[in-house]
Amino acid sequence: MKMNSIINITFRAIAITFLFCGNTIAQDQSQSQGKSEATIELSYNKKADMSKTAVAVIKAKNNEGKFVPAKNTQVNFYVVNDKKKQLLKSVKTDIKGQAVIVLQKDLPLDEDLAFTIVAKIENDTLYEDTEEKMHYKDASLTLNLNPQDTARLVTAKVTETGKGGIEIPVKGAEVRFYVQRLFGIMPAAENNTIETDEKGEASFAFPRNIPGDTTGVITVAARMEDNEQFGNVENKAVTSWGTVLAIVRDPFPRALWEPYAPLPLVISISMLFGGVWFTYFFIFFNLRKIKKEEQLAINDSTV
Amino acid sequence: MATEKYNLKQEIETVREDCLRPAQKWGRSTQIWIGCLLIVMGWGLYCYIHQLRNGLGVTAMRDYVSWGLYISTFIFFIGISHSGTLVSAILRITKQEWRRPITRSAELLTVVSLLFGGIIPIIDLGRPDRLGNLFIFGRIQSPLMLDVIAICTYLTGSMLFLFLPMIPDMALCRDRLTVCDSPFKKFRKWLYTKMAIGWKGTKSQWHRLELTMTIMTIVIIPVAVSVHTVVSYIFAMTLRPGWNSTVFGPYFVAGALYSGSAAVVLGMAAFRKLYHLEKYITQRHFDLMGRIVLALTLIYAYLNLNEYWIPAYNMVTAEGHLLSYLFYGSYSKAFWTCQFGTVLLPIIIMSIPKGRTKTMLPITCIIIVAGAWVKRYLIVVPTLLHPFMPIQEVPGTWSSYFPNYVEFSVTAACLAGIFLVITLFSKLFPMMAVWEVEEGILIEHDKQIAIEFRTLREAEVAKIIEEKVNISIESIKQPT
Repeated sequence: MKMNSIINITFRAIAITFLFCGNTIAQDQSQSQGKSEATIELSYNKKADMSKTAVAVIKAKNNEGKFVPAKNTQVNFYVVNDKKKQLLKSVKTDIKGQAVIVLQKDLPLDEDLAFTIVAKIENDTLYEDTEEKMHYKDASLTLNLNPQDTARLVTAKVTETGKGGIEIPVKGAEVRFYVQRLFGIMPAAENNTIETDEKGEASFAFPRNIPGDTTGVITVAARMEDNEQFGNVENKAVTSWGTVLAIVRDPFPRALWEPYAPLPLVISISMLFGGVWFTYFFIFFNLRKIKKEEQLAINDSTV
Repeated sequence: MATEKYNLKQEIETVREDCLRPAQKWGRSTQIWIGCLLIVMGWGLYCYIHQLRNGLGVTAMRDYVSWGLYISTFIFFIGISHSGTLVSAILRITKQEWRRPITRSAELLTVVSLLFGGIIPIIDLGRPDRLGNLFIFGRIQSPLMLDVIAICTYLTGSMLFLFLPMIPDMALCRDRLTVCDSPFKKFRKWLYTKMAIGWKGTKSQWHRLELTMTIMTIVIIPVAVSVHTVVSYIFAMTLRPGWNSTVFGPYFVAGALYSGSAAVVLGMAAFRKLYHLEKYITQRHFDLMGRIVLALTLIYAYLNLNEYWIPAYNMVTAEGHLLSYLFYGSYSKAFWTCQFGTVLLPIIIMSIPKGRTKTMLPITCIIIVAGAWVKRYLIVVPTLLHPFMPIQEVPGTWSSYFPNYVEFSVTAACLAGIFLVITLFSKLFPMMAVWEVEEGILIEHDKQIAIEFRTLREAEVAKIIEEKVNISIESIKQPT
């Protein structure tokens, strides 16, 4: 009787454990089969060529619970104003999880003269529906500098477009000054951030020791970054304020990478291998002589 | 004296018969062997066609490991090709008389391994039809271009070096093998006549042949060294951990000599057994070759120590990662087996006289040759898996490599090709330089005669001195 009850309890415990485990596994499976959450980071950029872009970066959790870029995900971009919501474009994210659209110049504006862009993930097979909104005003950043200026002052003026197209100076906006390099932009100085005054102007004393090209030409860039009202706005100007880059001709250039081999190398290799091949030809010449001597041996024997 | 002359003539005749005998027979076992080799080559060809049709994607090579088994085998075969230079040229130039029965097989091994070694980089090309571009747009400053030039030069030189001592033997074959009942008689007659280039054995012909052979012996050594040095430049001039090393040139040359000399021993042992050349390739040959292989293994071990010990002492960044991978990682078993099993162990075995016997030495050399092949693989693959900058956005599986059936099949076909050419060669031509062995016998005979003359003269002189001494003693004894 006692034995029976022990077996009974053991059996029940095993059955409960199996049921619990089975339930947990089933829950995990249902989770893995369901859609996962994705996040959207939306930003607005106004470039030096006055082109405007909206960039949505999509990230989702991977199996390890880390946020990684979600590639090949469709993002719908809408422009929204008080009256209507209009689809601008549907774009698939690239390998970095980015979806970029170029915004049209005449976006429909709200009453406060701002535009609203919404990026949405809708009806996606992998991710739940989600959206992100941005609301910015259009601003202009102009750069003013005089290449002849000995003080080397570069002035950035930030204005927003008011009603009737009037340019209104923006006060208290942070402008950062940079120098364009080959693979990106570099801060022009350690403290490169200047706030605009009541005229909307921020003046920056450009350093004298920044290398330019062979004629001293450099590109100065000014940026408003992640501004609450205007997003990212930038402008660039070319000037000859850089130091002249003197290209010193290396007496021993890395000629192995050049299209033409250095002459000493060509001469050495030609002499080395040429010498060997000359010897081979001499051997062939001697073999020919051996062949010819057969005839002489026959003639001698007949005489 | 007449009996001696008769014996010498008979001995020379025996040499000729022994050397030419294998070329007269095409036994059942030879046919089966050739059949097996053709099957392996056929399957390899099929796999290569599959690779040509579908691209290198059918192999296990990807963005990380773009030089896998093929290039490892290429270096290995080029290394084996140093055998002919070492045994034939170096021993010839140092006038080592014992070299005579083994030079032909060593020279043949050089030509065949170079031939197939040279083919492998073409197999490794995704678009071999574009090979011509190398000659049209090739840059002389590129180590790859230098490699092509050096290998072509070495192959031509090796063929000449094999052919020159064959000329008197071809005349012998022309005169003997075409009159007896041997397979492919007409073809043989044509071949031997062409290859004998009208050899009559006149004094001037011998003079010219000796001159050309002396020149070739001198020229082929630096050419052989240049080939493996240039092969090492392909790696050493690339900015990759484990390759960008100044010791790579001599390291590759030493590695080639070490594996090449071991391959010569294997060739020696095989031909000795298969063609019953026990009388000519004796225990002395194995002992002396064992000493050479031992010396070369010691040099290789020393360079190996330099190659790994100095970076292991610093263990800096990428080099350190690579060495950790080799020392403790997934390649550690192969690495340490190579270091201890195929370098240190052969040194110990060959250091003792019993390790240089005709049985023990070939076994040791098999280990060396196999180890040399694995070592080439360890030079190529782990470095490719550890670039300074990881390749972006590639599947994780690409960061590991093991050759697949296509690579194994094509490589096996190349190896079978080497065996096939050697087999066919040995069935057409004598595997020992007949005239060289004969010359050795004559030199030995002349030496014996000289010793006999000297002994005789010394005995006569001693007798005269003794007589003179006796006379003088007698004259002293006589009373005045």
